[in-house]
This record gives sequence, structure tokens and C-alpha cells, in this order.
Amino acid sequence: MHWKKLSILGVLIAVFLVPPLIWDIGTSVLNLLIMLFIYIILAQSWNLMGGYTGQINLGLAAFFGCGTLVTHFIWKAGLPFYLAMAAGGVAAMVLAVIIGLPTLRLKGMYFGIGTFALAEVCRIVVGGTFHRMLKMPSSYVASYNLISRYYVAFVVATLAVVVVYLVTHSKLGLGMVAVRDDETAAQVTGVNTFKCKVLALFISALLAGLAGGVFAYLRLSFHFIFMMFSPVWTFEPLMAAIIGGAGTLAGPIIGSVFLVILSEVFALKLGEAHLIIFGLLFVLIVMYFPYGLVGSVGRISQRIRGVGRGMSQGK
Amino acid sequence: MLKITHIDVYYGDLQALWDVSLTIGEGEIVTLVGSNGAGKSTLMNTISGLLKIRVGSIEFRGIRLDSLPAHSIVEHGISMVPEGRRIFPQMTVLENLEMGASIHAARKVRQKTLKEIYEVFPILGERAKQRAGTLSGGEQQMLAIGRALMSQPKGLLIDEMSLGLSPLVVQELSRVIQGINKANKLTIFVVEQDVPLALSMAHRGYVIENGRIVDEGDAKSLLCSARIKEAYLGTA
Amino acid sequence: MANGLLVGALYGLVALGFALLMGVMKFLNTAHGTFIILGGYLSYWLLELWGIDPFLSLPLVVMAMFLVGIAFYKLALSPLLKLPNIGMRINTSMLITFGSIWVLDNTMTVLWTPDVRSVMTPYTGQTLKLLGVRFSLTGLGGVGVAVLVALALYFILSGTYFGKHIRAATQDAVAASLCGINVQRTYLFSCGIAIALAGVAGMVVVSSYSISSTAGIGWLSSAFVVMVLAGEGNINAIIPAGMVLGLIESAGLLVVGVSYRQAIALIVFIIVLMIKPQGLFAKKEYGS
Repeated sequence: MHWKKLSILGVLIAVFLVPPLIWDIGTSVLNLLIMLFIYIILAQSWNLMGGYTGQINLGLAAFFGCGTLVTHFIWKAGLPFYLAMAAGGVAAMVLAVIIGLPTLRLKGMYFGIGTFALAEVCRIVVGGTFHRMLKMPSSYVASYNLISRYYVAFVVATLAVVVVYLVTHSKLGLGMVAVRDDETAAQVTGVNTFKCKVLALFISALLAGLAGGVFAYLRLSFHFIFMMFSPVWTFEPLMAAIIGGAGTLAGPIIGSVFLVILSEVFALKLGEAHLIIFGLLFVLIVMYFPYGLVGSVGRISQRIRGVGRGMSQGK
Repeated sequence: MLKITHIDVYYGDLQALWDVSLTIGEGEIVTLVGSNGAGKSTLMNTISGLLKIRVGSIEFRGIRLDSLPAHSIVEHGISMVPEGRRIFPQMTVLENLEMGASIHAARKVRQKTLKEIYEVFPILGERAKQRAGTLSGGEQQMLAIGRALMSQPKGLLIDEMSLGLSPLVVQELSRVIQGINKANKLTIFVVEQDVPLALSMAHRGYVIENGRIVDEGDAKSLLCSARIKEAYLGTA
Repeated sequence: MANGLLVGALYGLVALGFALLMGVMKFLNTAHGTFIILGGYLSYWLLELWGIDPFLSLPLVVMAMFLVGIAFYKLALSPLLKLPNIGMRINTSMLITFGSIWVLDNTMTVLWTPDVRSVMTPYTGQTLKLLGVRFSLTGLGGVGVAVLVALALYFILSGTYFGKHIRAATQDAVAASLCGINVQRTYLFSCGIAIALAGVAGMVVVSSYSISSTAGIGWLSSAFVVMVLAGEGNINAIIPAGMVLGLIESAGLLVVGVSYRQAIALIVFIIVLMIKPQGLFAKKEYGS
């Protein structure tokens, strides 16, 4: 089984890794793919807390924006980019301590609205403090290479998926799912629910911060940095994760693909209307396919296999 | 009057009642006894429309009830006093009683019915403006019964009347129930864990075990039956 | 400061429908702000196209939004009643209404463009001097509407049988149906009322301020803060809670300045959430 999964992974990596080296894909496709990778990172980040641990974090944008902001400044200060990106991730984790830890005390829906409120406060404060454009020196602009952005984004996205995979297949991952399914029962059976939630929060913040770093690397300059703290950066990954399948590894990936492709393909033809379609799709999935696309396929194939088993046992 | 024929009831995929049949005649007090988890409340919830049957039928005065929603069943004349009383804690005693008369037919005679209820349960009249949540257990039970009676039912279901109440209060309630039955010819179906209490109130009884009816008969003879004595009264 | 009370009354009005839906049916309607904007658009177009003053066209807006509420209940919310527990109902309603925001906001953008709209009547911009303070006429009108509507709601809930059905269904939906109350229908009409209330708020917003197709979220935020201040389920405390928020906000403005105005409400919100989540006006709970 393991070899099968690894070989699929290998093929995927080859598909994404090799082509840009060989031929000229074009800037629009590259940009599209880079944004896709960023969404995948964010969706995985949200999914780790929301899909696996049951903590619906509505303030993810704050971690993303923080990562973007810090990476921008550290990189501008002259440090190598990958250090700046790492700093962005760490800064997001620090932010998680400040705004995430207190909100974990809140129960149920109040956690969601608490995180949302705190993220909004961040956005407003940043908007008030940094109202001038954040520019990169022209030397950075001159040496701009889209292909390197592509590979950085791809590496971080792969890293995110690997990290989520490792976490969810570890004992911590079991604890997280236990917290999601029934926190009281989990506590009673000895799971340290607080630790699970905190670790989910930190890893999620780290990933979102790294995504912000990639974005800072991509965009270089920002007219209105506070827009990186806008709730859109929480809600689009959230929708991608849920449409794809919350609580699955492939879900955020599929959902992000959906989101990005839909935006690109439909935005040209339908303009704003494509968001209406996306919203309708989201509502339909929440109502009738709560396990998302990936989850539903999984359940259907389980049922089919179950029927087959039953028949062969002569039931 | 109430005819339950071969019903099966499930909670999701879990079966709770198997092939249950029973009849209740007009003006009778019939009781269903059994231990905890035997299926008594399940049956009550099914008759009153909170649960649906998978097989069989429930008929009341010739009309099929089993596919109707709970509020329609009240309109057809069956009212239930639920387990745990379930009065509206933040509404006054009077408001609780008013809610009992929500169906169209009862609304018209609401004031008259209120007076009758206050005669049967004077304490409710005294506490009419008080919040129901501040009443004692026994008073809440009276309120729950009074509320159920406000809909002018032809059949009254009572689910676990004695739970959490002192013996004195329970005796008083039992006396009141029997009185209402005699005075208004009200058909009453009582479900109880307290077997001697139930069989002393009722004319006839059924015994339920693990979701199946295992015995039935005249209340007096059931009280003396070996099964009852052994299982519920602790004597051989 | 006194203007803070004016704004506060509006905050209370904005929160009424939201708190009603949450209190009665445990539906978290994140699209509440969007419905407010929709109500605002209705008032706006009634004035633009047929010249009807927004205060006069209010009954029309109420009726139209009531129907919208019923449709919304049937399409999006009633399936949620089948969910096994309250937590799931709150979470799922949050997600579904959130998806609805995308649908509704963008439909409004497509239909009416994202331009900012504001109502212009002969009395827009006029002020009145009361007790030495200047108040805008539309602002006073808004307070009047808010108070009237709150009183009407209070009367409906405590004085009419339908209102009592709503309260009964809120406290124990199963017991209510055992009384013969058609709880589904009660919920349906409650949702209609809640959205109609949003419509009223929209009318006040468009006449005192302005609306645009994407401004819904901002009002949702205010509604949430007021609901938490008042205490969940405590409808009677909503207008007072709104006024408290208005006062705190105007006091806060003196300290931090206009660009951080929105943050004040949010910070108050977070503080209350942490310290007294039952709300500032929480009543003692008897056995339930």
C-alpha cells in the first residue's frame, strides 16, 4: 500500500516539478499555479484545525497577513528570502500565542467569532499603522524571477501536505480527531485536549504564516497591506477545505483546485456571477454532502465494497 | 378507543419495540409497567407522534394516527404528560396552561377549562402568576397534567408520573387521576416504574420487557401474578 | 456622547432579528447583515422609482422582507432542524448562511452594482437641537423606529398567543408540539419576523447612512457584539445593549480616533466574551 501511495506522489511531484524547467508555460499559468499552491497551504492549515480538530478558526487571515508583513520587512532588511519566510512563519506562531491561546478558552461558536473578531482587530490596526504603500527596492524588482517563486510555492505546499499527513497519522492526530468528535469523551479517556488544540493552532498558524511568506515573495510590494488580513483569506480556504472534504488530506487540495479553476475559468465569462455559483455549491455541499467531494467519494466506495463483501459472504 | 397493532419502532437503526399490540377501551385506565429501558417511554413517544413506527398501525377512535406529526395528534384528541414534566420554565403557570389549549377547539373554551383545572388543582390557581420554573416537583407535575388537560383530550397519556416525587404527592396525584377518569370518563394510559402504584390506579395492565409485551390482564390479577411478584415486587 | 445613544439604538435594531433567530431556533444567521442591506435597497428603490418616502414605505419593506424570510427558512434553514444536536445546528447554520452571503451579496452586486447608495429626501441632513445637542432628523427618526419596533416585538412576544408559541417553542420545542403547537410553522413565521426586522434596520441604515452590496458583514459584526452584550436569548435587553455599545464606541472614539472605530466594538466584544459570556444583562436562570 505504501509503495502505491509513494509512487503516486512521485508522479505528481514529477508532473509539477519538471515542466517549468523544460518549456515556457507562460506567466499567467505560472501565477495561477502559484496561487493554487498558496491556497492549498492555507486550506490545509485551516483543515488541520477545523476539519481534524473541530475548532472552526475564522481568523486565519491574521496569521497569513502577519506572515506576509513580517516576511516583507525582514527580506527588505537584506536577509535571504528563506530566512525571511521562516521568520514570517514564526511570527505567525507568536501571534497565535497572543490571540489564539486566549480564544481557545471559548466554547463552541464563540471560538469562531472570537477568532474572527481578533483577526479583524489585527486588520484594522495594521490598516491604521501601515497606510502607505510598502515597496521593495528596485534591485529586488530587477532580479524578479517567476519560476523561482513557482518552485518555492510548490516546495512549501508539498511541505504543508507532508506535515499535515505526519501530524494526522500520529498519536497527536488521533487526539485531535477525538477532540473533534467528542471533547468530553476525549478528556475522560485521558486525551490532553488542550494540548491537541494548541498544537493544531500552532501548526496551522505556522503554515498560514509560511503561505504569507510565499505571497510576500510573489507580490513584492503592497498598496494596502491590511488587505492581506481581510477575511477573504480565511473564508476562501475554509470553503475550499469544506467543499473538498473537511477532515481529509486530499480535500483541501481538491477544493483549492476547484476554487482556483472556477475563479479563473468562470471569472472571465461570468464576472461576479462565478462567486454566486461558488456560494451555491458551498451551501449544497454543506447541506447534502457534509463530507465534501473527497469524503463522499470515500463513503460511496466504502458502501460499494461493503455490498461486495456481504454478497461474497452469502448474506 | 386506542388500538395499537403489531408495531415495530426504531431509534435510527436500533430496534426498540417488537411487534407491540395493545388496546385501550373508552373510559378505562390502563397501565404499562416494566423496568427501566424496557420501552415504556418509547411507546408513549410513539403514540404521541414524536417517534415514527416502521410496521403496523396506531388507531384512535377509528382514525390512523401513526403518520401524523405530534401537534396533529393533539388535535385528534390525545394529549401526553411527558416524562420529566417538561413545563416551560420561564413562562408563568397561567401561560403554561394557556399553551396547553393551543389547538383550535380548545382555544374557544380556554377560560372555562382553566376554571375546571383550578378546581382540580387549586395550588395552580394560587401560583398562576408565578414562573413555572420556581414550582416544586409535585406542583410542576400538577401543572404538566393540567396543561395536558387544557386541550380537552379524549385520551390522556402519562409518562412516569411518580419520578422524583414524594409518596404523599404521588398518592394525591393518583387520587386526582382516578377522580378525573370517573368524572369525565377520560381514557387514561399510564406508564410507570412504580408497579404497585400503577396497578392500584388502573383497571387493566400490560407488562413490557425488552421492547416486547409479555403479559396483560386485569390490574388486580396482575398484581398477584407470579411474574410481577418475582420481577418487580421482590417476592416469590 | 448623546449621538452615541442614537447610533446605539440603531445597533440594537440591527441586532434584534439576529438575536431572535439565534434565541428561538439556534440558527446563526451570518447573512443577517446582507438582509439588512437588502432591506436598504428595497427602501432605496421604492424612493428612487416611485418616490415613496422610506419611513412611509416601511410597511411594504416589512411585508416583502417577511416573505423573503419565509423563503430563506424553507430553502436554507429548515433542513437543519433534522440535525441531532444543537452544536451541529449552530455550526452548520453558520456555514450555510455564510455560503448564502456569497450568493446574495454577489447577486446584489450584479443587479445593482457595488456603488454606495444613500437616500436623499427633503429632510436628509437637517438637524434638530434638543437639550442643547444637535441631532440629525434621520437619526432621530431611526431611534423612533427602533424603539417602536422593539416595543412591538415585546408586545408580540409577551401579549399575543403567537408570541407565546414562539417562547414556548424556544424553551422546549418538544413540549410545545405536545401542546398542539405547530412548531415548524412557528419557526417559519419567526424567521419571517427576524428577516423583516433586518429589513427595518436596512431602511434606517440607508436613510441615516449608506449601503453598498458588500457592506453586510460590517453590520453583522455589530449585531453579534450587541447580542453577546445583551446575553443570548435575552431579546428585551437588545436595545439597551445596543445603546451601551453606542456609548462605549463614542467614548472610545475620543481616545483612539476615527480610523480605529470599528476596532472598538470588536475589542469590547472580545472582553465581554472572555469575562462575562452570558452578557451584561443576563437574567437569573430558573430550572430549565
